[in-house]
Amino acid sequence: MSSPDPRLPLPESFVDEMKRYLHLLPEDANLLRELGPLMEKYLPEMAEKFYAQVPHHPGASRVFIGGEAQVERLKSTLQAWGRGLFNGVYDEPYAEHRFLIGFRHVRISLDQKYVISAMGVVRSFLMEKLFDEFPAREQRLAFSQALGKILDLDLNLMCDSYFRATMAHLQTLNQELEQAGAQLAGANAIKDEFLAQVSHDLRTPLNSILSFTKMVLDGLCTNPEEEKEVLRDVFSSGQLLLRLVNDLLDISAIEAGKLALDIEELDPRAVLDSTLPLVAVQAASKDLQIIDETLEQSLPAVRSDEIRFRQVLLNLLSNAVKFTARGCVRVRAIESPAEGRLRIEIEDTGIGVPVEKRDAVFEKFVRHNPKALRGVTGSGLGLAIAKRLVEMMHGEIGLETGADGKGSIAWFTLPLADPQATEEARTA
Amino acid sequence: MSTQEHTLQGKSVLIVEDNELVAKFFRMALERAGGCSCLISEDVPAILEHVSSGKIDLVLLDVSLNNSEWEGRSINGVELCRMLKEKSPRRLPVLLATAHAMSGDRERLLESSGADGYLEKPVYDSAILVEKVRSLIESA
Repeated sequence: MSSPDPRLPLPESFVDEMKRYLHLLPEDANLLRELGPLMEKYLPEMAEKFYAQVPHHPGASRVFIGGEAQVERLKSTLQAWGRGLFNGVYDEPYAEHRFLIGFRHVRISLDQKYVISAMGVVRSFLMEKLFDEFPAREQRLAFSQALGKILDLDLNLMCDSYFRATMAHLQTLNQELEQAGAQLAGANAIKDEFLAQVSHDLRTPLNSILSFTKMVLDGLCTNPEEEKEVLRDVFSSGQLLLRLVNDLLDISAIEAGKLALDIEELDPRAVLDSTLPLVAVQAASKDLQIIDETLEQSLPAVRSDEIRFRQVLLNLLSNAVKFTARGCVRVRAIESPAEGRLRIEIEDTGIGVPVEKRDAVFEKFVRHNPKALRGVTGSGLGLAIAKRLVEMMHGEIGLETGADGKGSIAWFTLPLADPQATEEARTA
Repeated sequence: MSTQEHTLQGKSVLIVEDNELVAKFFRMALERAGGCSCLISEDVPAILEHVSSGKIDLVLLDVSLNNSEWEGRSINGVELCRMLKEKSPRRLPVLLATAHAMSGDRERLLESSGADGYLEKPVYDSAILVEKVRSLIESA
């Protein structure tokens, strides 16, 4: 960079500084230019000497992947370098070019000590030939000093390029390391949060069990009926605790990738018939009707894990019953041969889930417990587990608003075992 | 325990707690082991009304209130405590209950809420709860 103001010193560049340090003067450049034509005939042999060494270092096969042809090309490059050395133009572009060679060496992880030693061989060779050309001591001295200076400059440029390239590489590695560290810290924070939530959620029912048990033991209940009522709370707290522990084991296994699925061809009818009765008692106690709209249908076989299919269905069904005070819960199946999927829907006439919370309820510990539904408690993991299970079975899961704008439709899809088979073909 | 005299006889305690079973335990423990009467509420306007009436002797207040709102936004026990202290026609002792029992939390919560005492959940022993409530009412 030249400055328009001559009073301001130019920024000291590496090559200028080294030229000053080595006393590489214009006279030296002139001597080297004079030397060039005389030395031209030695350049092929110089290249031979250099490459007699370098390709035989350990790991050379990794660096010289082009084999003989590559080494031949590199020999002519080295001769061009030699010509540049005698050319007398030691400016910024010259330095940059020299730098680029060093960067390339680092990139291909050519170990610098082999290059430096080979350069030593080149120096001895050139000095020897220079001595042959100039038997007179006076001339020889001036030429060899000039050659020594430029070889020093060149070696310095090379070593500095190695250093800078290595630094740049280290900086990149450091950045990667910092990013990895930040990611790890983020993951750790999520884990801490999870742990805090889990310990709170485990402690809550456990504390109820302990405090109510103590109350009975202290004889604070006035009659056996009240004792029974308190014990029912103890029992339901124990059930909640068990559900939470089971769900935690499930989600940990899923997230650790240790949950093995047994995917097979399944008749959804069998799964529906064995799961629906499990929520019937809960529904009947609230006067809710469960309507199975699939009864008239012939259902196609799906590919799925039977236990996990049932678990997802049960979770969505018991949510529907839990969040519905009056009305009914409908179960529907929609076959989509074009997409190769069977979609199972559970529609309720309950409180519904606001649109903005529909994605969140599939996350861990996000409970949709509006004020209207006090006392509704779950592990907060049911839908998170259902989502992961459905995805592991190559399906999708979601929530929509119910048909009349009230309630909600929870749905999930499973892949058809034979997407080509039509309903007619099955019933025929 | 059942033979113990009812130290909170004639007193009235308002319980503000979002967990139904915990609230139930507090109520039964205070009524049976202390002999006082209890009200349970999470509804902020109703809570303020109870307190304004001057008939409440102590408020047992949970720090985390998941179901309570005031002026369209959720409110926690610390904020509610400050409101209660303002609204009450007489000096009203507030016992702040929290499950997040960590060192340093206690002072911070007491100071920011202006509460009179601090109850670390879980509490299993009714007698301890009654004693804590009694001492706060007496020093009020």
